[in-house]
Amino acid sequence: MHRFLAAPLLALLLMLVLALPALAAKPKEGDVLPDLEIKTPLKPAEQEYLGLPAGAKSWRLSQIKAETLLVEIFSMYCPRCQAEAPAVNRVFEKLMASPQGAKLKFVAIGAGNSQFEVDFFRKKYQAGMPMVQDADYKLHKAFMGVGTPSYFVLKSLPGGKGLKVLYFREGQFEDEDAFLEQVLRAAGAK
Amino acid sequence: MSKRRNAASLLFAAALAVVALLGPAPAAALDLKDMILDPGPLKPVDSVIKVRPGQMAPDFSLPGVIFGQGGKRLVHLSDYRGRKNVMLSFVPAAFTPVCSDQWPGYNLAKDLFDEYDTVVLGISVDNLPSQYAWVLEMRGLWFPVLSDFNPHGAVAKAYGVLRGDGTAERAIVIIDKKGVVRFAQSFNINIRPDLELIMRELHKVEEGAPGTLQQDKR
Repeated sequence: MHRFLAAPLLALLLMLVLALPALAAKPKEGDVLPDLEIKTPLKPAEQEYLGLPAGAKSWRLSQIKAETLLVEIFSMYCPRCQAEAPAVNRVFEKLMASPQGAKLKFVAIGAGNSQFEVDFFRKKYQAGMPMVQDADYKLHKAFMGVGTPSYFVLKSLPGGKGLKVLYFREGQFEDEDAFLEQVLRAAGAK
Repeated sequence: MSKRRNAASLLFAAALAVVALLGPAPAAALDLKDMILDPGPLKPVDSVIKVRPGQMAPDFSLPGVIFGQGGKRLVHLSDYRGRKNVMLSFVPAAFTPVCSDQWPGYNLAKDLFDEYDTVVLGISVDNLPSQYAWVLEMRGLWFPVLSDFNPHGAVAKAYGVLRGDGTAERAIVIIDKKGVVRFAQSFNINIRPDLELIMRELHKVEEGAPGTLQQDKR
């Protein structure tokens, strides 16, 4: 009997071992992401929203004046991001409108998108949050190459030690209010 | 007997653990990206483009699928003569990494193509059923997707964008209303061409069109 079982159990064990790298590849709460330099110039209103020095040519997420950050990784070319864009705008507006939400700042990163492509997406959906280009996928890589859309709640660690993941979601959210609730809870704003 | 039942339940529990650890099956894949075979980096360009700006574009007729307009239809390039500029977007193959992430962008940018009075014709060497499934997966496209399947890659070959392995290059050919090629380039197959470059070339074709490139200048 034991000999009979050995093969399938071994196979299962092998499957588990093989699955581990795939599991490890996804971000999880507690992970620390690198705080890369961002070279997208921001409009004055965006600089003001993020509390960054006026006219800064480059900046880092850790410089944003906020307790926590909500970061979306999207692409102009991704049909799911397109479909979700109006709901994402509403999430941003609800954040702005509530005292708890205002403690979070929202930034969207266009994975593999040029400035033109990010601007086109912003204009198409009348998106209000700051959006940054990532034409060379450097930021996308720093965010562990996640699928689009993905959402992170991040807290900047003191001393430039990176960005700690408080919440991660890959894929569209079904209910924007439930999503907002999860984000606020993760950010400790509720 | 009870030993066997124990063994069976142990197996069942182990299987459950595997399912739980692996998370949702591919049916719940989050993005098209999760469902496609990644061939890794490919030779950037593997053919020599034959069409040049200034020459008449080689005419062709290909069967295509147009989302929401039922079944297949034959599309002739010459049908657009005198009516629309045409942008041919050759892509290597259906369900491949970069391509799956290219046409949905042109789908979103319909207004920009309209502004330049341009229709997009997507072309790959796949057969129609695969293309149809692919277009559905991309949630539909406003432009026709044409099948250069039989004889295999004949149109791609005529344009000089057929690769050695039988797939097409990631190429863009812009043809004006007189049927003259205005822009032709095979891009690095591993990278998506920037939309700005395409719009700049369309702007040259339709000079005097409203300034699409003036959007959101900083």
